[in-house]
Amino acid sequence: MTAPMTTTGPDLRDYVLRLGDDALVAAQRVAGWCTRAPQFEEDVALANIALDLLGQARALLTYAGELEGLGRDEDALAFGRDEHEFRNVQLVELPDDDFATAIAKMLFFGVYQRLLYTGLSRAADPTLAGIAAKAAKETAYHVDHAVSWTLRLGDGTAESHRRMQAAVDHVWPYTHELFEPGPPPAAAGPGADPAALRGPWCREVEQVLAEATLRRPEDGWAPTGGRSGVHTEAFGHLLAEMQYVYRAHPGARW
Amino acid sequence: MELLDGVPPLGTEELLAEVDAAERELAAGEGPPAGTAPAGDEEGAARFEALIAADGKIEPRDWMPDGYRRSLIRQIAQHAHSEIMGMQPETNWISRAPSLARKAILIAKVQDEAGHGLYLYSVAESLGVSREWMLDELHAGRQKYLSFINYPTLTWADVGALAWLTDGAAVVNQVSLCRTSYGPYARALVRICKEESFHHRQGFDLLYALSRGTPEQRAMLQAAVDRWWYPALAMFGPPDHMSTHSAQSLAWRIKRATNDELRQRFVDICVPQARVLGVTLPDPALRWNAERGHHDFTPPDFEELKRVVAGNGPCNRQRLAHRRRAHEDGAWVREAAAAYAAKHGESREAAEPAPAGEAARAPERTDWPLWEVFVRPRRGLAHSHAGGLHAPDAAMALRNARDLYTRRGEGVSIWVLPAAGITASSPDEKDAFFDPAGDKVYRHPSFFELPEGVEHL
Amino acid sequence: MTAPRTVVGDTVVRGQAAAERVRSAVAAVRDPEIRVLTIEELGILRDVSAEDDGRVVVTITPTFLGCPAMDVIRADVAAAARDAGCAEVEIVTVLSPPWTTDWLSDAARAKLAAAGIAPPVRRDDPGGRTLPLLMPALRAPRCPRCGSAATAEIARAGSTACKALWRCDACRQPFDHVKDH
Repeated sequence: MTAPMTTTGPDLRDYVLRLGDDALVAAQRVAGWCTRAPQFEEDVALANIALDLLGQARALLTYAGELEGLGRDEDALAFGRDEHEFRNVQLVELPDDDFATAIAKMLFFGVYQRLLYTGLSRAADPTLAGIAAKAAKETAYHVDHAVSWTLRLGDGTAESHRRMQAAVDHVWPYTHELFEPGPPPAAAGPGADPAALRGPWCREVEQVLAEATLRRPEDGWAPTGGRSGVHTEAFGHLLAEMQYVYRAHPGARW
Repeated sequence: MELLDGVPPLGTEELLAEVDAAERELAAGEGPPAGTAPAGDEEGAARFEALIAADGKIEPRDWMPDGYRRSLIRQIAQHAHSEIMGMQPETNWISRAPSLARKAILIAKVQDEAGHGLYLYSVAESLGVSREWMLDELHAGRQKYLSFINYPTLTWADVGALAWLTDGAAVVNQVSLCRTSYGPYARALVRICKEESFHHRQGFDLLYALSRGTPEQRAMLQAAVDRWWYPALAMFGPPDHMSTHSAQSLAWRIKRATNDELRQRFVDICVPQARVLGVTLPDPALRWNAERGHHDFTPPDFEELKRVVAGNGPCNRQRLAHRRRAHEDGAWVREAAAAYAAKHGESREAAEPAPAGEAARAPERTDWPLWEVFVRPRRGLAHSHAGGLHAPDAAMALRNARDLYTRRGEGVSIWVLPAAGITASSPDEKDAFFDPAGDKVYRHPSFFELPEGVEHL
Repeated sequence: MTAPRTVVGDTVVRGQAAAERVRSAVAAVRDPEIRVLTIEELGILRDVSAEDDGRVVVTITPTFLGCPAMDVIRADVAAAARDAGCAEVEIVTVLSPPWTTDWLSDAARAKLAAAGIAPPVRRDDPGGRTLPLLMPALRAPRCPRCGSAATAEIARAGSTACKALWRCDACRQPFDHVKDH
């Protein structure tokens, strides 16, 4: 599958890199739950979701590398870049302090991803459209999973309600960055304008929160910077761990 | 990356062919599930003996001797625990995998193990115990898991060595168990062997990439093989001359080959593979014996195995603490799921499962007491022990016992007793490791070389 | 995503005849995770064609984006083509149209059931119960062993990404179910 070069340019490469970095960092966090989940079913489900996200990341980073034309493959992009070169939102890099935090992140990010990928599946660029159509189907499972747990934690015990509300409050400010204005490249199509996704995203998330007896936090503080390479302190630790073997053996093949 | 390109055949086709044969046997011998009402001891025993003699499969609703049921529960629980605990040494490297393709393969492998663990727990549950109980036994150290899991994975190469050597040993062991007499377990093993052969191949490929890599990568590979060779050999259990094989064990067709036979088979498979990898197996005595048609080799240090099994391996405490912590940290989540299910009227009895399937079943998974179930199958016969189950109260225990242990209710009388109210004679105090009592050896198929803890059924 | 390109083998056969030979060889490659099915039966193999320059192009599609079996399938396809005497094979991975369980043939469904794996439930199966799930169109499979409809989901995700774990309440057999997708 080859993208028509006329529609591509540096801005499409940057755009694809953002999507790829979001998926990669989210996968790294979700995979961290292996052997630590509250029940074995959840170990399996979270590994499954991590695998899906990693699959998206690999497809997107490979494509970003091709658009760039500098010979960097998915691994060179994942393991060879420094912190400030990553374009993911800060939401996905937040540490999963507890299961409620992991679920809040999965809900907010998953709904965003599904809306975005659904829009991108009609992109003018056929490669991006192909990846998005495939990913949209998988992301629907992630949202289903996150919604199921949001309901159970929000409307479960007093303790779980307290924890889930705290997680929602903690993660909420970071959701604003998902919808920062900035039109996508023409090749991505009109369905991919992040600013336009905020409305449907809010409606869907608010409905889930209400059903889960959780309060929707006020909009206020809106941390940002991920898209331009400014990240949280925790991100450096994530990268240090993820990249160290690759970097300790320059040029080695694995 | 060009995964697996140019990797020579692993020589494990023969094993897979055996799995296929066992599967065909299962399919050929399989009728619909037995539709008979639970039989009394006498006719049940006759039917059981006839099935075993005909190399048939025992199914969950069939009558079976109490000892057979208990031995299966212990064995399958230990197998399930090994899948679950075995995730830890591999997960240790997921976050640091040096390529995205390898990371994906490793996540898939760990997912596969968790899936196999789940599958095996549900096979054990078909015998009338709950997963909660099995986990309690694991957390308390009363049920064991395979000893190799108690060794550390120190470098990336250890991930490959684990997959090549210990998964390879597991496949050799499990292939020999595919024709075991309990139907659900046999079917589980066929399926598990097939999926594990895929991961075994990928593990070998990981090492193959290292073998063609830099001097540092090759050194990493050799060191990992040095670390994992003997733990893998020890997986086959104590040597035959130190292990007893009762007539009962063979008669019940749970075990099909001796520890030493399986160990020899594994060594013979590994030697040519090691040559392909360009690694030296850490045994100066290892050489081809033309007379025997097998390789001579140095057996593992069984004193070390004994120490690890007793809880004093490098990582025993760490692994168990990690498992307990995950369980304790998740308690509030499981409680929330149970509370939600209760509020929303989703119970096990509902015809349809709820969104998060497990969550809907969570109420029966909280810490409910264990009940012993006694069934009178027909008038004139005495109540006899059928098995155990978890339930919140006696009424629920009765209902569940009816579902679990009888096919239809007419003329059947059931007693349920809180297990805590039963006083039992003290279990066999013999050293179960090297000298299990003759009547218990069937509980130790070679795959699980571990001694039993206290009896809890 | 541009496909990884795999070029193998010595020059032996070319053109349409080569494509036919490669097609039958490649169609027999088994899925490494669901070994009862070939990649053709699973719908992973999309196309085998001969190019004007003599190359044979094999087109495959993943069931899931992150499916780690794809690398193994590529290697097996390359090996099968090589064994079929093909000079140059290019393996192309496409994502569009996205793979769906609707591509499983009736024969493939029967093979799955025979292997104790419940196939995805057809949308028009009158026997399939619709589950009260948030996701639409999820249906309860019948037990592949005894045929009972009294089945319960144990885990949405199973040992591989494409399968879920279920249990039959009638015969108590746990079983895998290939998820609708």
